[in-house]
Formats: sequence, C-alpha cells, structure tokens
Amino acid sequence: MEEQKRSPRKQKLALVDSNGQNLATLLSPRFKSAAAMAGWDEEALLLASLVVEDTPDRDSKHKKRYVLHSKTPPTNSSRKRRALRTPKARNPVTFLDLDAEETPRKDSGRKKEGKKSCVDNEGSKVEEVGNELREKNQGAPSSGSALPCIDKLRDELSCAICLEICFEPSTTPCGHSFCRKCLRSAADKCGKKCPKCRQLISNGRSCTVNTVLWNTIQLLFPQEVEARKAASASKGRQQVQNLSPETAFFDNLRNSTQPRGAPSRSMRRSGATASTTQDDEDAALARRLQREIDEQSPETTRIRAARVRARRGVSTGQHEDAALALRLQREEFLQTFRGSNQDQSNRLPSSSLARANLRAMASRAMNLRISERRR
Amino acid sequence: MMISGGGGRSSWSSSTSSWVPTTSVSASGKRIQREMVELNNDPPPDSSAGPKGDNLYHWIATIIGTPGTPYQGGIFFLDIKFPSDYPFKPPQVVFKTRIYHCNVDPDGLVSMGILKDDWSPALTITKVLLAVRSILTNPDPYNAVVPGIAHLYLGDRAKHDDIAAEWTVRFAK
Repeated sequence: MEEQKRSPRKQKLALVDSNGQNLATLLSPRFKSAAAMAGWDEEALLLASLVVEDTPDRDSKHKKRYVLHSKTPPTNSSRKRRALRTPKARNPVTFLDLDAEETPRKDSGRKKEGKKSCVDNEGSKVEEVGNELREKNQGAPSSGSALPCIDKLRDELSCAICLEICFEPSTTPCGHSFCRKCLRSAADKCGKKCPKCRQLISNGRSCTVNTVLWNTIQLLFPQEVEARKAASASKGRQQVQNLSPETAFFDNLRNSTQPRGAPSRSMRRSGATASTTQDDEDAALARRLQREIDEQSPETTRIRAARVRARRGVSTGQHEDAALALRLQREEFLQTFRGSNQDQSNRLPSSSLARANLRAMASRAMNLRISERRR
Repeated sequence: MMISGGGGRSSWSSSTSSWVPTTSVSASGKRIQREMVELNNDPPPDSSAGPKGDNLYHWIATIIGTPGTPYQGGIFFLDIKFPSDYPFKPPQVVFKTRIYHCNVDPDGLVSMGILKDDWSPALTITKVLLAVRSILTNPDPYNAVVPGIAHLYLGDRAKHDDIAAEWTVRFAK
C-alpha cells in the first residue's frame, strides 16, 4: 500500500520533468484563481501543484489508484489525464482578476488555449473570456480593472481634500475617509472638524490607517497607488539631497557603507518586493529608529507603520525640520550600528562618538520643539 | 472687517504672485489642476471658471445672473485667487463686475461664511460658485458687509431690487 501510494507521485514527478508545461493544464481553475490572488508566478504554481498532490485528497487518491488498477502502462498521455479531470474542469470558477500585471498567469492561459483543441469544455471558455478581459485591461491602462462601476468607485474612493484616490485612508469617527496625510493637515490647519460634515474629530495626529479600505484601494487601483508611492519616494530623495553639505557628506558615508550591509538584510526579506536595496536599507533603519524613539502612536502593523513613517519623515514639504531631525538621527544610528557590526573600536574614534552624541541631543531637542509647536 | 479683508488681500496677492512657480508639482497645484479637469468634464450650470493666464493660482470665473432675480441677464466676472496652502485655506473671490449686493463690498470682495471661518478643505471651486450664485438669489442681510444695502433690502425690497437691476444693466451687460 505504501509503495502504491508513492509510486504515482514519482510518476508524476517524471511527468513534470519530461513535459513540465502539461502540468499547468492539470491544475483546477479554482486552484489557479487562488494562486492568482496570492500573486504566485508560474514557477511557484508548478511547485505548489506538487505539494497539493501530496496533501490527503480522497478524490485524487482514488483516481490514482484507479489509474494503477486499470493496468495501463504509465504514459505521458495528457489527454487521458485531462479526460480524468474533466469533472473538475467542468466546474469552473469565474475569478475576479484584480491585478493587471500578471503576465506569467496569462502565459499559462495562452498555452492552455493552444491545446484547447483536444478538450473543448466550458472551463477553457471561461479562461478565454478571462484572457479577453485582461487584454482589455491592458488596452486601457488608466483603470486598474474592467469593473463596470469603476468610475463610481473612483469617485467614492477619492479623498475630498486632494481629490485623488485615497492614499493610506484614515476614517473619522463620523465615518468619512481621507488620505491620512490630508486629514492630518486639515486637522492642523483648519481645526479639528471633519472636512465633510464639520463634526468634531479627535486630534489628527492619532489617526490610523483604515486597513480594509487601504487594501481594497490597493487592489482596485494598483497603478495610481504605485505612481503615488513613487512620487513621494522621489520627492523625499530630492529633499534629502537639498538639505546641507554636512548631510550630503553623511549621505556619501552611508552610501559607502551600504554594499556591506545591504545584501544580508535584503536576503532576509526574500526580495519578493520590487524595492531597491536602498529602499530596503532605509526601511530597515527607519524601523529600528522607530522602535527607539516612537512610543506615542499605537502600532497596528509595525512594518507598514515603519514604511509610512519613513516616507512621511522625509517627504512632507512643510516639515523640513522634522525631516532634517530624522535624517540626523538616522545617521547617528547608522554610525553606532556600523560600529557594533564590525566590532572595531578604531573605526569610531572618541571624538566622532562625542560628535554623534551631540548630534543626537540636538536632534532630540529639535524633535521636542517640533512636537511642542504642533501642539 | 472690511479693513482686515483688504489688508489680507493685498499681502495675499503679492505672496501668491511671488511664490508660484509655473510648473508646480505641489499638493495645492495638483489639487487645482484636478479641479480644472473636473470643471471641464462637468461644468456647473450658468457659470464657468479657469486659469487667467499660465498662473494656476489665479483664476477667472463668470456667473450669469439667475432669471427671476434683479441680476438676471447680467454677466458677472470674478477673480479667484488660491492661497499657496489651498485647499486648507479658502480661495479669495472678488467680483470684477460691479454689483449691488449687500454681501459684496465696494471692492468686490465676496463675504461668505464658507470663504472665511466656515471653509472646509472638502469644498471645491464648483461648490464655491454654486454658493455665490445662491447668495445672488438669496442675499444674507444679517451678515452684510454693506449695511446700507442690507437695510434697504430688509426695509424696501422693491427699491433694492430696482437699484440692483439698474446696476446690472449698467455694469454687467
């Protein structure tokens, strides 16, 4: 029995090796749509399919046994396999393709279309429709998906203050949502009233991101969100470069230390994200810094908060002082971090240590002053 | 009130003209651009608005007097100046065409709650123009900047309307 169980799996592996693309057609549409939602690429899909075969699934085991008992020699005939699987394929799941940037999945869809001639079931028809839908999406790159009510959604999910798609939306107690940054500025400059209904709102400083809404927006309008992220990032860079010769010097210093530290850290975070190593470094530093200096804001998701903080810290046009303070603190941290990393006391002479301490004190004082002024 | 309004106005205009770059990527510039696009796509009834020249922060608008009011048939030009921290501060709306109205001061400055303390960053120029049109239909004599006109409006409405209509014919046609 044990052998019986194992042998079909081996056979399957051999099958994958001989013609790997056949496997893509063996996956059920339900599984595919789940994988699409998780953002898996084709390779991951293939790997996962092997894992799936290992999981106890009454139905499939029964089929395997059936294959063995029917005394047919183990062939690579995919037609037979597909014939066995048709009941599953007959039951197609129409999936909402929210991400327009899924070319790997599309490729697998194409392959399937190519082989459609042997199996003409409804599943492939659905796939075809899906392909058409996706192609339409790429024809109109401005809209994230081809939902019929996308314009209404765009209006609904826009921030009334900046009139763009809400970026990191925050919801007031009266139920209105704005970009977190916009709401904060509104509370600072226009009093603590809801911009929409003038109801009293709490301090704009303590506002948190409405996670569900933010995730929804990211799913519906990936392009807009990405564009805005990129814009704020580049703005932050520019501002950082415009600060002062001293910071420029430390910038250089930081860049020179970067190649040593970056690979290990970015490897730990399995470079699935498309961010550059500099971004990674920035985020890591900011996160650490945040742990040290930040006790006021409640952390919902630590990583996101850190990312937000990093971006806001360097990008806001109005609070250049705050950006400078953060920058200084970051450099101070970097110096100490570098020292501890290498365990070389001669790299950090006492004078520079003292300078770093002084700088830390100055930045803390500046932070205090800023927070007082905001209050 | 008039004095403070006038003072703020002069300093304001000078600051906007010196501050504004032609190719602005600031938050206020973006928002104003967006409003412009929306105005083009979905223009409000009987009014229009757009940048005066290449300065995004200085607009010109027109309002056509609503039929049934003493202002009917008149075309009123307005100047709109956006502060650099728009939309967190209200825009300044000035009648360039002379108008006999208790909420418009002799310099043309429109006095409305939503253009002062009641401003909200969720308001847009479309809504402001709508509000201006509504005070042309229903003046607010209790928050007037020209007490004489407000008095006349409350005391002798017919005479007020006659003068307003006469001014419309004289200046707005």
